[in-house]
Amino acid sequence: MLAARARAGDRTAFGELVARYADQARRVARAVLQDPDDADDAAQDAFLAALVKLEQYDAARPFGPWLMRIVANAATDRRRRRTVRRAELLDDGFIGGGPQPDAMAERAVLLGRLRKALAELPERRRLAVVLFDMEGYAHAEIAEILGMPEGTVRSEVFHARRHLRTLLADWREQP
Amino acid sequence: MSDPSTPFDSRPDPVLGAALRAALAPRNSAAFVGRVVAAADRPAAPLDVLAGWSRLGIAAAVLAALFAGVAVGRDAASADSATSSPDAAAIIAGTEAPDAITLLASFPDR
Repeated sequence: MLAARARAGDRTAFGELVARYADQARRVARAVLQDPDDADDAAQDAFLAALVKLEQYDAARPFGPWLMRIVANAATDRRRRRTVRRAELLDDGFIGGGPQPDAMAERAVLLGRLRKALAELPERRRLAVVLFDMEGYAHAEIAEILGMPEGTVRSEVFHARRHLRTLLADWREQP
Repeated sequence: MSDPSTPFDSRPDPVLGAALRAALAPRNSAAFVGRVVAAADRPAAPLDVLAGWSRLGIAAAVLAALFAGVAVGRDAASADSATSSPDAAAIIAGTEAPDAITLLASFPDR
């Protein structure tokens, strides 16, 4: 198992763990921080903290929720420390202007609206819907990650979905 | 968008999930992985080492303070017992120099 090998000091195994969970950790951190650079810094902090804490990891339990709890805490800590900065709501390429196909422009606008709608949610609610609908964690796992009762997670996901769906009523799935 | 859910809905919404994934998609995964692995291989900075010791240091300081408090408390108790006998009280209350025999008798037996 990768976590056991990483715990034994195998740096290759640690690299494989990072590669496996990097995108997920960066998305979750970005859900908290909004700014992609801050999110990457928080995700890196989380991986390094996880490496130090691997001794505490119970190999009988799934690794993802354990790691995501560290990621969520690292992102929340960084958000508390930093000066409040507004997140970029649109892709750099879209802001940069220039000719773009209509479909790409529409997609960029929709993604910007989604990020804005997500940013309007309370942090716990935002994390709950991201972990449930985007990352596919079960309510019980999210309850463990966020340290809240399972019923509260269900309620947070429900309210988050209602908010996002209201603002994105014209969302169309892109290929 | 999928149909509205209830709090009892235990199925992820694939459309909303795909939209969120697109909105929060990170860039250049390989570079990020390389950066984290390199950071893990980097030796800890002196300040990091000190930070690692800080908890131990605080715990040691708390223990030392507790022991010091206990030691001071014992000394104070000994001083109290030294002045608790009637002879000692008379010496302290008196205005003249104490008689040597009375003074020696006021010391507690050890």
